Amino acid sequence: MSSSKPLTGGGLLFEVLEQHGVEHVFGYPGGAIMPIYDALYDSSVKHFLCRHEQGAAFSAVGYARAAGKVGVCMATSGPGATNLITGLADALADSIPVVAITGQVATSAMGSDAFQEIDIFGLSLACTKHSFQVSNIDDLEDVLHQAFEIALEGRQGPVLVDIPKDIQQAEVTSRLEEFSHLTNKVQLPLADISNAIDILTHAKQPILYVGGGVGMANAIDEVRDFANQTGMPSVSTLKGLGAINADNENYLGMLGMHGTKASNLAVQECDLLVVVGARFDDRVTGKLNEFAPNAKVIHFDIDTAEINKRRFADAAILGDLKANLPLLSMSLNISGWQEKVQQMKADFGWRYDHPGSKIFAPAVLKEMSDLMPKNTCITTDVGQHQMWSAQHISVDDPCNFLTSGGMGTMGFGLPAAIGAQISRPHDTVIAVSGDGSIMMNVQELATIKRYQIPVKILLIDNAKLGMVRQWQDLFFDGRLSETDLADNPDFCQLARSFEIKAQTITEKSQVTEALEEMIDHQGPYLLHVKIDAKDNVWPLVPPNTANDKMMESV
Amino acid sequence: MNNYKLIIMTDDRQVVLERILQVTRYRGFLINGINAQVNTGNQIATIELYVSSERPIELLIDQINKLIDIKGVKVDNKADNKGAQQHSA
Repeated sequence: MSSSKPLTGGGLLFEVLEQHGVEHVFGYPGGAIMPIYDALYDSSVKHFLCRHEQGAAFSAVGYARAAGKVGVCMATSGPGATNLITGLADALADSIPVVAITGQVATSAMGSDAFQEIDIFGLSLACTKHSFQVSNIDDLEDVLHQAFEIALEGRQGPVLVDIPKDIQQAEVTSRLEEFSHLTNKVQLPLADISNAIDILTHAKQPILYVGGGVGMANAIDEVRDFANQTGMPSVSTLKGLGAINADNENYLGMLGMHGTKASNLAVQECDLLVVVGARFDDRVTGKLNEFAPNAKVIHFDIDTAEINKRRFADAAILGDLKANLPLLSMSLNISGWQEKVQQMKADFGWRYDHPGSKIFAPAVLKEMSDLMPKNTCITTDVGQHQMWSAQHISVDDPCNFLTSGGMGTMGFGLPAAIGAQISRPHDTVIAVSGDGSIMMNVQELATIKRYQIPVKILLIDNAKLGMVRQWQDLFFDGRLSETDLADNPDFCQLARSFEIKAQTITEKSQVTEALEEMIDHQGPYLLHVKIDAKDNVWPLVPPNTANDKMMESV
Repeated sequence: MNNYKLIIMTDDRQVVLERILQVTRYRGFLINGINAQVNTGNQIATIELYVSSERPIELLIDQINKLIDIKGVKVDNKADNKGAQQHSA
C-alpha cells in the first residue's frame, strides 16, 4: 500500500488477505467493486482475470482443493455476484473453503433497485456456509477475519462478504489489535468409542467406507494406517478417491451408482460399515433401505448433522479424524472375508478389450493414468467422462482428483484446472472434459492464453450429452431429447485461436503417441478424442435400485 | 404430521431470522408460527418456532445448530410426547 494514500476499505481488504497468506485471487471487475480493484493496483496479491465470474469461482475452488488453502474470488454487484453463485453452491456441496468478495452498490442506493443491484446477501443464504454484508467501515476488518475462520472451521465451506462501494472507499481510522473468534462453535458429544470397539471386534465382514472428509481432515495417513492395521476391505466415494492407495490389495475402488462390481457386492454383504468422512449420498447408496442391509454402522464425521441423517449410526464418533481414527485401530481376524473380497476383485476387474478401431475412453484414461507423472492433478467435468475418470484413473491423494461431487456441475473442470495449476505450478494438471461440459466455461481458454497456464485438456467427444443420452436410451425408451451435439465447434481450431496446441485423434492406434505428446508438452495443450456416441458407462445401478442389482450391459 | 415448538437462542446478527426460516423450509418443515424478541442488553434473540413435519425434529435441530450465530436450540414440547431434548451449540 502506498504510504501517501490513506488506507481505505479496499486497501484493508488486501491487507487482511495478505495476513491470511493469500497470494492469488480470481475475479472480474465492474462498477461497484472498482475501489477494490483500485486498491489491488497497490497490493502484492496477484489477481487472475477470468472471463466469467463462474470461472473465477471454480478457479478458486480448484485452487483450494489442489493446495489445501482457502480460495478467494471477487466479483462486482448484480450479475457479477449472481454469476458466482453456482461456484459457491458447488463449494458448499463439496465442503470447500472459499471466500467470495462481492461489490455492492453504495449503502445510500441499496434497496432502491439501483443499476446492477441485487440482494446477493439474501441469495447467498442457501449456497454459502455463512455470509456477511458490511454496513460500517469499522466492522470490515473483523468481518474479513471471521470469513476466513468460518471457511476453515469444522466442516469447511464457502463464505461471502458483500461490501458496498462507499465502504470500499471509506477511510480506515482504526485497526484491530486482535479479531474476534467464533464463540458459537458446535459442541460435539462424547465419542462412542467403547461401543464402537465392541462392534468392531465382533464384526466378521467389515468394510471401510471412505469419503471426501478424509482428505479435508488431512487424515490420509491415519485412514491408511487404519486400513492396514485392521486389514479391513475398503471402498471409496467419488470425493474420497486417492485416500486409500489404489495398490492396497483390500481396496475395491469406488462404490455406488457407477462403482465397481466388487465394491457394491462387498458392501451389500458386509456386517459392519466403518464410515469415515462420508454421508450416505444417494449416488452412493442406491435404494437407501436396501443399502448394506445387514450392516451395523460406525460413523466418523466432523459434522453432527450427518449422523443419523440418512442411515442410523450404531456408534457415532464426532470430531477430528486424525485424532479419532487411531482410537479404533486394531488387528481383526477376518482372513476369510479378505480372501472373499480379493476373489471378487479378481473376478470383476476392469476389461479394456474393445472391438473395432474406434477409441474406447476407459482404455485412454487407464493409459493416461499409467503415463502421467507422479502427483499429477486431475480435474473433471460432469458426465460419462467423469465416471470413466473415477473408474480408470488412479490417484494417490484426494487433492489430485478434483471433481464436482455433490453439485455435479458441468463447467467445473476447466476453471478448476486453472486454479489447481496456479496453486501447484510445478505439477502436471490435466482437465478431463466432455464436449458438453467444456462449452459451459469455454471462455476460460482465454485465461489460459493470457497467463500461459500449462493446463492439459483431454476432451472426450461423443457429440452428445452422453450421460443424459445413456439414461434416455436405458430408461426413457430411447427417446433422445435435446442430447445431440453434432454441431459442436471444431475444438482444435477453437483451442488454436487461444494459442493452445491441439490435435484430434479418432483411432486406437493414435492414442499412446498422442497422450505422450500432450503430457510432455511444456505449455497448454488440448487433446481431442473422438469416441463412439453409443458407448455407455458400466456398471450402472438404475435409479431406486439396490446396489447389487447393477446393469453391466444393455 | 408431528408438531414441535423449538426455542432458539441466537446472537442478534444480520438476517439470522432469515437463515433459520430458510433452513427450516429447506429441510422439510412447515412453519406454523413464530415469536421473536431481542434482549437489547445482551444482544441475544430468543425465537420460538412452531413447526410440523413427518421428519424427525433432530434433523432440523442439527441443521439450525450449524448456523454460525446460533447459541442453542431446545425442543420445548413434542407432539409424540417423548420429552424435551437439549442440544447446545
